[in-house]
Amino acid sequence: MENAVKGLFKIMPFLFGIGFVAPLIAQTMIYWGWRPPLGLTPISFGLLIGVPWGLYATIRGRWV
Amino acid sequence: MSEDRISLRDAPVDIPIRDDVPAIPLTGDETLDRYTRIELLREERAIAEKFHGGRMWPYVVAAWGGFAVWLSLFPLTMLDIVPLPIAFVVSCVLATGGYVTSHEAMHSNIARAGTQYRWVNEWVGKVSTIPIVFPFSMARIMHLEHHYHCNDPEKDPDYTDEAPNALMAWYKTWYNRQPGVDGSIHHYKRILAEMGTPEADKALKDTLVLQLLFMTVLFTMAWAGYALEAALVWWLPRHIGLSYIRFYLSWAPHHPREGKTGRYEQANIFKSRLGHVMSMCMETHLIHHLYPSIPNHRTKAAYLALKPILDKRGVDVSAI
Repeated sequence: MENAVKGLFKIMPFLFGIGFVAPLIAQTMIYWGWRPPLGLTPISFGLLIGVPWGLYATIRGRWV
Repeated sequence: MSEDRISLRDAPVDIPIRDDVPAIPLTGDETLDRYTRIELLREERAIAEKFHGGRMWPYVVAAWGGFAVWLSLFPLTMLDIVPLPIAFVVSCVLATGGYVTSHEAMHSNIARAGTQYRWVNEWVGKVSTIPIVFPFSMARIMHLEHHYHCNDPEKDPDYTDEAPNALMAWYKTWYNRQPGVDGSIHHYKRILAEMGTPEADKALKDTLVLQLLFMTVLFTMAWAGYALEAALVWWLPRHIGLSYIRFYLSWAPHHPREGKTGRYEQANIFKSRLGHVMSMCMETHLIHHLYPSIPNHRTKAAYLALKPILDKRGVDVSAI
């Protein structure tokens, strides 16, 4: 159990990218009336940013 | 060798204060002999005693009332009853100020162990730091470690906040929270794991539970269509609060830390650009390190009363 939780925290930035960053981007775009490029839906665009960003933070240990 | 002791209340160990070694340093003034130092310490303690305790119920009201208001911001913003910008400002204030009320509880200044209202002390501590996702059990252990080993580069858990200037200190408050950096709460987790005591284990478990709860709430709210509310009521105020706390409660009163481990040099007397209240009474943080039982709001009055003695001790009292 403890190892499972530790493992979860190791990939938490990746999960954060999917679980929070992606919908936050999507809903911010909707709030300000911005249209995503290439005919994407706001949540698809959010995931396009959030997933690789979270992966980058997980691997590199930094968000920026 | 004569020896006196100072207690941090509920601390697992006392810090010895010996009067024959530089642990009570006389920085800048070598004219005081042993007798004078003992007399000064007696006088200092007699003055400090007048500022211990006092009305603590406002801390309780602020902690519990603040937590209730903070919790209410979630439904109130989701139902569009309170505008998000207002909720954001209120949440930032509550997240930051919560550390002050929790800090009093860390030192058992609201009610000591074994007294009737001890539970009040514990619940003030527990709810105050939930907005910054910092469990009271961890906060208390780490803060007391900071007192025991203040400015020791190896043992002071807050030493990672040290930076050469204010701008770098603000940057470090953010940098230390990055997932792969051994600073801030990551640093605390490592120290607790190394301590290995039952209290440390409990603090680690509390931290995991609170962090999991935080993530669960953020993810659930975000995917339910309330990402902006989650961001502006909890996520961003937490980051702003943590940075503000790290800067004003850790960097500003202790910079520069290097070699400043003596009783009278662990913290500075400084003038804050934002004033005494906005800097959370940190201008006179040295008084807190000398006498942790003096409540935060009384440290300035205590400092002014103790100023002549501190001056004789070699403390730089020119700022206030």
